[in-house]
Amino acid sequence: MEQLLQQSTSLSTVMMFAAGAVVLLLIVLGFVTYAIYFERKVIGWMQLRVGPNRVGPLGLLQTVADVAKLLLKEDTRPKHADKALFALAPVLAYAPAFAVLAVIPFTDTLHFADLGVGILYYIALSGITVLGVITAGWASNNKYSLIGGLRSAAQMISYEVPLVMSVVGIILMTGSLNLKEIVYAQQDVWNIVPQFLGFIVFIIAAQAELNRTPFDLPEAESELVAGYHVEYSGFRFAMFMLAEYVYMFGMGALVTILFLGGWLPIHPALDFIPPVVWFILKFSLYVFFQFWLRATMPRLRADQLMSFAWKGLLPLALVNIMLTAIFISYQSGMM
Amino acid sequence: MQVSGTFLAFAVLSLLTIGGAVFMISFTRVVHMVISLGVTFLSIAGLFVLLEAEFVAISQILVYSGAISILMLFGIMLTKHDAKDEGVSKANKGWLSILVVAVFFVIAFWGIQSTPWVAPPDNAAAVQEDNATQLGVEIFTRFVIPFELTSVLLLVALVGAIILAKKEEDNE
Repeated sequence: MEQLLQQSTSLSTVMMFAAGAVVLLLIVLGFVTYAIYFERKVIGWMQLRVGPNRVGPLGLLQTVADVAKLLLKEDTRPKHADKALFALAPVLAYAPAFAVLAVIPFTDTLHFADLGVGILYYIALSGITVLGVITAGWASNNKYSLIGGLRSAAQMISYEVPLVMSVVGIILMTGSLNLKEIVYAQQDVWNIVPQFLGFIVFIIAAQAELNRTPFDLPEAESELVAGYHVEYSGFRFAMFMLAEYVYMFGMGALVTILFLGGWLPIHPALDFIPPVVWFILKFSLYVFFQFWLRATMPRLRADQLMSFAWKGLLPLALVNIMLTAIFISYQSGMM
Repeated sequence: MQVSGTFLAFAVLSLLTIGGAVFMISFTRVVHMVISLGVTFLSIAGLFVLLEAEFVAISQILVYSGAISILMLFGIMLTKHDAKDEGVSKANKGWLSILVVAVFFVIAFWGIQSTPWVAPPDNAAAVQEDNATQLGVEIFTRFVIPFELTSVLLLVALVGAIILAKKEEDNE
């Protein structure tokens, strides 16, 4: 075994990789803990309530207490559930959520894998979560969870198409699928300005990909009890919630990189602020936008949801691609 | 034989690929079959990564593990979701199948052995770096006619599927 590791990569580098992944996991867990806290606080303020304020100073330990409660709960499984798939589904849903973070460049130097096809990697892996969700819905052997799982899969697949299409404009402008190159290409002007149409389509489609308001039909409490994870409790349920919030982390990072210039400052004069602070600022803006939407928007109806994706967003994204292509060929003197 | 990390990864991935395919045949519940097929698809993507064809690997995940597995699951769930396969009778088919498999193996093995593999080009480093760009350029210059023909074929299949579905709707 020792020989084996020394041949291509040494033991210390492997340990370094593992340590890096663990550190990222801890950061993500910290983010999720306080994202949930701020979500409840912000929505509370918007609805003229106080929000959580009992556990710890200012209620800061509320989520910690909630997670501890979840982990101590009994792990129940319905009698007629499919045993193997019931256990497999949370893993299938969570593993890709964490794996997509591997290609996100947080700053110029702070990143993990520098993949040539970074943006495609993110989109391809996030598709596997749908498999986890649909498996969970089926394995629970419950009609509500099955409907929730099917709804979720239909929604996530439909909105994946405009999501990918809206990014094509940026890829055309940059000439690369690499996320770092995309940030470098935004030195002069952030992509949100020339690609505003793409940005609008992306934000809406991302909302549906994340299963968040106004597209939270898979988890419509009033119609489906809780959707695909209704039969899950304790640690397995925590895995699903975690996957959702980790995707929010990933999507926030992706929006920051694709449209908001990543770690670049808003003006070269503000260069003295470290890049990672810029990244966190832009990222937090997106996360706040999520909470704001949740407090504002009502839920869509299932049939409206589908026709909106195929008849509204997809043509818009195609128009955006056409406009970008015409502009680029005009610029390079082909027309 | 030299045992390196690549070899180990290849062994694990190919084992998963074959294992998924074998379980796909031996499972009796349809949903289990699709999930094990998903394992096969994912491991094939891993094999592509080992060959440094990142773009092909990602496309494999995007199209097969993502779209096709989910499409199959949808099809199963919308028809009868607790369907159990009756189980084909296995009697008296053993010898014939062994013969067919053996012949197929011989043909495939002979084909692989006798193919003159082109030696990797000198600019192998360049291939690794940007194979998405190179694939795109090749497809739209050298292979543009097969590419367009494939898209026409897919369009025909799409229209055909819609017509078939419409026909069934009219009959009801």
